[in-house]
Amino acid sequence: MNSMTPKLVVEGLTHYYPDEYTGESVHALEDINLELYEGELVSVVGPSGCGKSTLLNILAGLLPYKIGTASVDGNVIHGPGPDRGVVFQEHAILPWRTVAKNIGHGLEIRKVPQAEREKRVQEFIDLVGLTGFEDKFPHELSGGMKQRCQVARTLCSDPVVMLMDEPFAAVDAQTRITLQEELNRIAMATHKTILFITHSVEEAAFLADRCLVFSARPGRLKEIVEIGIPREQRNWTNMNDNAIFIAARDRILASVREEVSIAVEE
Amino acid sequence: MDRLWWHFQQLLKIDAMNLVILVIVVLIGWTIISETIPNPARYLPSPLAVSLSSVDMLVKGLLPSYYSDTLVRLIIGSSIGLAAGIPFGLLLGLNKTVADMFHPMMNFFQSVSGIAIFPIVVIWWGNSDTTVLAVILYTSFFPIAFNVLSGVREIPIRYVNAARTMGASKYQIMKDVLFPGAMPHIATGSRLSIGFAWRAVIAGEMLAGRQGLGWMIFTGQDADRTAEVILGMVMIGLTWIILDHYLLRPIEADTIERWGLVQR
Ligand SMILES: Nc1ncnc2c1ncn2[C@@H]1O[C@H](COP(=O)(O)OP(=O)(O)OP(=O)(O)O)[C@@H](O)[C@H]1O
Ligand SMILES: [Mg+2]
Repeated sequence: MNSMTPKLVVEGLTHYYPDEYTGESVHALEDINLELYEGELVSVVGPSGCGKSTLLNILAGLLPYKIGTASVDGNVIHGPGPDRGVVFQEHAILPWRTVAKNIGHGLEIRKVPQAEREKRVQEFIDLVGLTGFEDKFPHELSGGMKQRCQVARTLCSDPVVMLMDEPFAAVDAQTRITLQEELNRIAMATHKTILFITHSVEEAAFLADRCLVFSARPGRLKEIVEIGIPREQRNWTNMNDNAIFIAARDRILASVREEVSIAVEE
Repeated sequence: MDRLWWHFQQLLKIDAMNLVILVIVVLIGWTIISETIPNPARYLPSPLAVSLSSVDMLVKGLLPSYYSDTLVRLIIGSSIGLAAGIPFGLLLGLNKTVADMFHPMMNFFQSVSGIAIFPIVVIWWGNSDTTVLAVILYTSFFPIAFNVLSGVREIPIRYVNAARTMGASKYQIMKDVLFPGAMPHIATGSRLSIGFAWRAVIAGEMLAGRQGLGWMIFTGQDADRTAEVILGMVMIGLTWIILDHYLLRPIEADTIERWGLVQR
């Protein structure tokens, strides 16, 4: 897999947030380098405030950056674009659109003909298990269903890379486990390249092919943990007996713990 | 059409009894007062006298003519006001800096009521239809534009960002995010706008001397035809209730209530 050209490349990315009031700037990211290959799911973990969302917002094109480069499929990122799909932490599906209309929004924006659009929308509604809820409005859905809807919306636009910022943080533990298994199944079915931000070490180890551990702020790439478990073998019934999973999880946990204590001492 | 019928039935079902009782009580009270005061024809004609005068004016064709004059002014004035005010508010809202800049100015203009700008408009265009229309336009434009702008400022940025990450253009963001997102404010703004426009029409007709319901009230007072004055007032109130109930409420029910943006 690594012989291919990477889908997403980040080189020497450093970011400061200027503070207009005090004049001091917040140093959020320091010299981030990473490559995502096709079909890979890479997770990012790190202490709160280490710059994970900052990285994601830069990659999404929502936050301008000055130092370093980031590119998707060889195109340098200058702003938002349909080659990158984002799943936000707080659901960002539009309350005034039905489930089907939300999921098809990206295609609508690109003026895909209605017949083709509807066919694709139905495909992804079925994939994320929202069949029967096509014509419901978001306020009629549970938290988990809203996140499924957001995932389907992103997939439906068929982006080159999918960026997810703690997408399951706001749902209950039971739903969360289901959503993780579903994302694993979706990753298998669609072969999407995914950058997945989370603060849950378990989640990162369960889902990722590689897990990037960030240091406390300013966020640096501290350690990369490879998790070589085939996707078909990933489900919560047998994961807790899986030696590779346990080793990876404990490795990541130890690494994050160190950083969290540094962050707390500051 | 179905919706209108449904609303009509709702009105009949729930409110009908209460409404009938209320109206009867008011009419009886009104009649009693009218019977006990001296010279009721001048100070407070009874409901019966008012209905007789309305029959009289109907027969002569004056009431329909006045009424349609007034209604046409309202419809033209506030349609243009809304059609211009909504896009204006959305456009200003596209850019946060522009929105912040215009917000206080819009607030200023929407607070200067239609009556207060009347004198200057009369100086410009005299006692003409243009004057009345200009005042209606002014009074309906600013409340809606200001409300839409406020509404756009309240839309969570993540909705706009979500559309941007799907490659939406400025126009698509306006159409798919800002317009529906500002819908609760568009609804209140439209209600305010049309309400203000309605007042402006009446006042405009009185001050500029153009024929219509306002004119009818004004001349009725001059000619000591108090029944006509009251008839005009009743017509004004009834028209507003009907507009509100059959036009504005159904629009709200189909949009912001359906989307769960407000609870009722
Ligand atoms: N818009 C902003 N303006 C100024 N500083 C910001 C802004 N957004 C984030 N920061 C700062 O940058 C640092 C990194 O924030 P970021 O949101 O990327 O952290 P995070 O890793 O996503 O944290 P969490 O796990 O809590 O979501 C924090 O110290 C934060 O205070
Ligand atoms: Mg974050």
